[in-house]
Amino acid sequence: MSAVAPDAGRLPGGRSDEPQTLAAPAGLISDILAITGRAIRGILREPELFIFALIIPVFFFVVQIGALGDVAEQQLGISNYATFQLPISILFAAASTSGGNALVLDIAGGYWDKLSLTPAHRSSLVIGNLFGEMFAVLGYSLVLLLFGFAIGVRFAANPVVGSLGLLALTLLFGIGFAAVSIAVALATGSVRATQSTFIIFFPLLFLTPSALPRNLMTGWFEKAVSLNPMTYVVEAARSFLFDFDAAVVFKGFLAAALFSALTFALTALAFRRRVRMG
Amino acid sequence: MSAIQATDLVRRFGEVEAVRGVSLEVAESEIYGFLGPNGAGKSTIVRILTTLLQPTSGSGSVLGHDVVKEPTTVRRLIGVALQEAGLDPKQTGRELLTLQGKLYGLKGKVLTDQVAEVTELVGLTDAIDRRIQTFSGGMKRRLDLASALLHRPRVLFLDEPTTGLDPLSRALIWDRIRELRERFGATIFLTTQYLEEADELADRVAIIDHGRIVRQGTPAALKAEVGADVIDVAVEERETGAAREAITDLQARGELPEGELRGTRAGYTLFVPDGPENLAVLIRGLDKAGVRFGAVSVSRPTLDDVFLAATGGRMAAADADGESEDAQGRDREPAGSGRRSS
Repeated sequence: MSAVAPDAGRLPGGRSDEPQTLAAPAGLISDILAITGRAIRGILREPELFIFALIIPVFFFVVQIGALGDVAEQQLGISNYATFQLPISILFAAASTSGGNALVLDIAGGYWDKLSLTPAHRSSLVIGNLFGEMFAVLGYSLVLLLFGFAIGVRFAANPVVGSLGLLALTLLFGIGFAAVSIAVALATGSVRATQSTFIIFFPLLFLTPSALPRNLMTGWFEKAVSLNPMTYVVEAARSFLFDFDAAVVFKGFLAAALFSALTFALTALAFRRRVRMG
Repeated sequence: MSAIQATDLVRRFGEVEAVRGVSLEVAESEIYGFLGPNGAGKSTIVRILTTLLQPTSGSGSVLGHDVVKEPTTVRRLIGVALQEAGLDPKQTGRELLTLQGKLYGLKGKVLTDQVAEVTELVGLTDAIDRRIQTFSGGMKRRLDLASALLHRPRVLFLDEPTTGLDPLSRALIWDRIRELRERFGATIFLTTQYLEEADELADRVAIIDHGRIVRQGTPAALKAEVGADVIDVAVEERETGAAREAITDLQARGELPEGELRGTRAGYTLFVPDGPENLAVLIRGLDKAGVRFGAVSVSRPTLDDVFLAATGGRMAAADADGESEDAQGRDREPAGSGRRSS
């Protein structure tokens, strides 16, 4: 038997005459770090999923530039259409996070129960997954940024500050999307339902100035775009690439934060339901 | 103080009452066998006592700590290997155990040593750095058991730990269970649908059927309650009426003692004292009545006979149907599985 600290596993208010287990409170931070580490390991063990998640954003990026690049630059006065499109691709990739997929597989496979049987804070099981997804979002964003630079995307101002701002906004937006998928995973325990949360991305991100600036839009589409909070996220992301506008950036962060707050609230509800259900 | 206590536990899932007022008490260092067919409510009770599920009513405690009010404390005291070994296939065995240890607050040398110790205990030292997706079913069960032991729990819940395992893996898990009690004095709550497993390992057994405990006691006492030897006689379906008539005639004439007669899928089971002596009487009587019968055997009562006497159905048949059957000859599984012949 291994040497054990004499007070290891002492229960809160415990009876000192009882033989002790080795279990001791690890703390929320330690629990989150442990679960995050496992989530990141899982992502790194399946590089093919990482690559697949990048294929569609890259495809749309290239097709949009090919289809509209010349028109946009020559007729609409957009100085660099690749730069104009890059934030859409990055946000697209961020919305492809699969945090809920990993979690729902844990639930379906019984590993969620295994982890729930430990004295770890149960919220760490969700937060750790979210942080793991942030790692993936960071990876997607960096790959797309590098790809963008390679095909001629340029920052109007300081590229380092612009990149950091764009990444921060993307992470805030991406964590909100990951929370949607995690909420569905917790609420349903269904792999199919969780995978289909990707669908909500389409209206949210395509009812935005994704192809054209908002000032060129008219009618119902312009109204719908203006009502969509994601519009402000897209415009803030572009502001980091073109002319930095603090007000636009603030609105973008606010929209992303509100979106994430809403999806976190849904996740919290789903989490409570899951814990109650057992 | 009891290691485990449950008082009037009830759990409903919508209209279905899976657990119907279960009370039990398990002493420290006891191996308590919880025996019943699939769907009897075993796993639901385990999930309640291990804090995964809240009871609809009633209460449960582990070492004096309420499973609903003090779940975190209870989780520190218990180790659990659930029926389906829920393991992350992408991790290696060592990564899984290390993560599990960290969540129990183990760190540094204690964590490393515990991982090595439990790995050795379950005989997985050579495979521990392989991804779990490459493990066989038996290896996964052993890894699951190892993860349940990492923090040296005082109470261990093992939910059907050997279901689906080959005999070799089953024997290894049985050895480990005995060793755990001997070395660490752990209390073990073992659910099983295998009669011989409960018989082999448990100090006391509770038999559960349809969400209720129908018998509770030491295996020997429960078998003694049956109070008779067991004669099984195989009879073709078209001969069952004639066989029943012949047996009841023998009993009416006093040639066979009055004893409970139950229909089974294979024929009839007769509970009588002095089994070997009465076996000869039965064979002669059936022969004389012109009843065509097959294999006849006599044995000491098993836990399956206790189950039969308590519920009117055989465990195996209840398993196959998801519920136990009544006594009127509808039990569709050959009797005597795992029986020790006398």
